[in-house]
Amino acid sequence: MANGVLPVLHYFEDVQVGDEIPQLVKSPVERVQLVRYAGASGDFNPLHTDPAVGEAIGTGGIIAHGMLIMGFVGQMLSDYVGPQALRKFGVRFKGMTHLNDVITCTGQVTEKHEADGQGFISGKVQAKDQDGDIKVVGTFTAVLPLRK
Amino acid sequence: MFDKEKVGYSFPPFRMTFERGKIRELATAIGDDNPIYHDLAAAMAAGYEDIPLPPTAPTIFTFWGNTQLWEQLTSVGINVMRILHGEEEYEYLAPIQPGDTLTGVTTIVEGKSRRGKDGSSMDILTTETRYTNQDKVPVLNARTVFVVREPAPASSEA
Repeated sequence: MANGVLPVLHYFEDVQVGDEIPQLVKSPVERVQLVRYAGASGDFNPLHTDPAVGEAIGTGGIIAHGMLIMGFVGQMLSDYVGPQALRKFGVRFKGMTHLNDVITCTGQVTEKHEADGQGFISGKVQAKDQDGDIKVVGTFTAVLPLRK
Repeated sequence: MFDKEKVGYSFPPFRMTFERGKIRELATAIGDDNPIYHDLAAAMAAGYEDIPLPPTAPTIFTFWGNTQLWEQLTSVGINVMRILHGEEEYEYLAPIQPGDTLTGVTTIVEGKSRRGKDGSSMDILTTETRYTNQDKVPVLNARTVFVVREPAPASSEA
């Protein structure tokens, strides 16, 4: 961040490779939530809100927006390092999420290095449901303030 | 099927002024009740200049910023009714504040089409959208992979 007033959640020195990111367990995915998400994001693809469309294309009813699940993972990262510390965040969508699925997000720090007077950490993240089925896997890079 | 001639093609730029209320809507839909996304005073008390963007806020630019997205994808041969999101990646280059006016340019950077012996097909399309703010500062790159699977035409599915 250009002006250097980033709120400090963790100093670079206090984060170690192998650290687990505090996991986030979400409430069951609800239909109203998908309607809300459609409006908030602007993604009105009916397969997320209209069961008839879901049946027609064989997804077994409506499925959640993949971006909602990425949003859950983003919430975990936001809680961990703060939203403006992220430099890169990417996911692959591995499975469909249905109504009432309970998504748990987890992650781990896999790398840290200093460059240009800043501390960078990278890690891997994932989201899975109550049966352990993986919905998204991804990676992130964040910049953390140095204590010294 | 995706028209491979379109790799390298950029769609017309789109523009949107990003509003604080959209952040609250998105955070509410995600179920993120962190007060920094809902209340300006709480955000400022936490050290932010304004309400910050949650990590996946750029999805708002994708759809509300570019309301022609589905039509554009259709125009290059994608069946948007069968589109699945394969991957999404953001590179955050500079802070984006509510009130900023962003310009996005989406380019098709990669496209593959495979047709099965039975006539079914699969398209994989990668787009990259580069966003600049009102001062022409690059603020965000978004990379998206779309996967489109089509059954064989003879199939009587649905």
